[in-house]
Amino acid sequence: MKYAVIKKEDLNLWVKHLMKKAKLYAPKRKENLFVFRQVKDASEICLSYIPTILPPKKYYFPQKEKLLKFNINPFLTSKAIEGFEDFILFAVHTCDIAGIQCMDVVFRDGPEDPNYLNRKDKMTIIGIECLQYCDEHANCVSMGNHVPRGGYDLMMIELSEKFILHINSEKGEKLVSSLDYIKEADEKDMISLERLREAKKKMFKEEFSGSLPEIYEVFDKRFNSSVWKDIAKQCVACGNCTAVCPTCYCFDVIDEVELSLNKGTRYRMWNSCLMDDFAKVAGGEDFRKGRDARQRHRYYRKFKYPVDKFNRYFCTGCGRCTRSCMAGIKLVETVNSLLKEP
Amino acid sequence: MKKQPKPRVAFFDFTDCEGCQLQIANMGTTLLELTQLVDIVKFREIMSEEAEDYDIAIIEGAISTDNDVKRIKKIREKAKVLITLGACAAIGGVNGIKNRTSLEIAKQRVYGDMAGSINTINAMPVHKVVNVDYIINGCPVYLPEVISVFKCLLMGKPYVVPNYPVCAECKMNENVCRYEKDEECLGPVTRAGCNSWCINNGNKCYGCRGLLENPPIDAAKDILLKYGLTLEEVLGRFTLYNDSMGEKYDKEFK
Repeated sequence: MKYAVIKKEDLNLWVKHLMKKAKLYAPKRKENLFVFRQVKDASEICLSYIPTILPPKKYYFPQKEKLLKFNINPFLTSKAIEGFEDFILFAVHTCDIAGIQCMDVVFRDGPEDPNYLNRKDKMTIIGIECLQYCDEHANCVSMGNHVPRGGYDLMMIELSEKFILHINSEKGEKLVSSLDYIKEADEKDMISLERLREAKKKMFKEEFSGSLPEIYEVFDKRFNSSVWKDIAKQCVACGNCTAVCPTCYCFDVIDEVELSLNKGTRYRMWNSCLMDDFAKVAGGEDFRKGRDARQRHRYYRKFKYPVDKFNRYFCTGCGRCTRSCMAGIKLVETVNSLLKEP
Repeated sequence: MKKQPKPRVAFFDFTDCEGCQLQIANMGTTLLELTQLVDIVKFREIMSEEAEDYDIAIIEGAISTDNDVKRIKKIREKAKVLITLGACAAIGGVNGIKNRTSLEIAKQRVYGDMAGSINTINAMPVHKVVNVDYIINGCPVYLPEVISVFKCLLMGKPYVVPNYPVCAECKMNENVCRYEKDEECLGPVTRAGCNSWCINNGNKCYGCRGLLENPPIDAAKDILLKYGLTLEEVLGRFTLYNDSMGEKYDKEFK
């Protein structure tokens, strides 16, 4: 079975079934925004949502993660996490799935990151395809992430009174097989899906004024552009843009001891290139002193450096950095300004 | 191995509300755990005994009289380690508001007819008068940070106050940014270390932990203006706790 269908009225039944299999994390409302949270009841889930405050990366690359337990005297170390739990990410947008694919490339690149790989191994991804723009800040079409491009176990596509489920892995197949309310999609469903994708093409338009190779070229040439100075004037270096980015993975390592002063835990905690001290080294030298250099670095870590290293753009087009910027720095505007520069 | 005697800790208060000491008094069982490692020999909120022999002096409050200057110097001479506790001692805190006008006006406002008999000087953080070994920021102090500082002290390590903004912790806590609700906040210019305590509980950041080493005052000012504050209100926000860092931002406003 490659495509299945489930009636909307049976969705709750299926969610209940999924919750029996593993912890289920899904988008929920939080004040005027959305967050991924564990859900205990299908009614808590919001299937129509703009990208959550933090991407689901908090589940496979937690904000503060235990790495190691230690004892000072006698000196001993042990595993910080005994076992990793199975979990399902439910109703993940295609942009965030692209984010997971980027993280995969990074953390699998030698030396492999065991914590990430352990979590990834326990993770099941059920996506949901967006049928309209979440808001004006997204640039998913230019990044090619407005349509499913793999990286998931199941993909839900809303089709009037039902959902089509694209089955993309064995893990995914197991979650839909032998359930009497999930059936194989028929030819009519497939025609509807094709029509829907055609309609989507008319609605979704490229947000950048140039193609990705053109953008790569421009980043190659515009290291000293005045665009970076303009951004620095607005930027407060709060780090919102990096914290909410599905592909920012920088961290710092810290040791914390208990009050006994003999036992402790080593953690890694999110950190980012926007922070003042991030590129400071012993002796006080700072490789990226100004906010212009730091913001530029963030952009280069999306449109230039990962392309050189992994042959992949690290912007997913989710629009979170723009949405969370209190100064109103807009990614699409920045990229288009660079493209416009003579 | 012979057990070393526990270091003796004494608490002192200067110009302040004593709320930070109250935080410590309210620490609960952790305070008892802490007394396994240190001897508290003077702490008037929790004990009536008072010893004048101490190793570690914990100073709460700003320095704001000539007598304060003399007193803090004496304490410094005696103490092997000196820790400032809370915004008043660490950065001057709200006491600094009086520095925004002349001392004469400030005295008149508070003491009226009695102003002539009052000795007062500009409010100062403790480090402006004596050498400080450990700084604990906040109004009031954040207890997990107090514990971290004690651990560093007992291990003989320096405690580094984060030089990244409250926003970094706030985002990790996945709060809805106040700016996304059309409300202002000093998070972007304020030192983290409080785990975005106020915002987690529905309040805004007032900047009580002091400004970052290089606060992006120019950009922060533009943002606050955009969110409807007047220039005077913006300056008021920045100086509510942070008069002692005046040089850093005064030029942005004048």
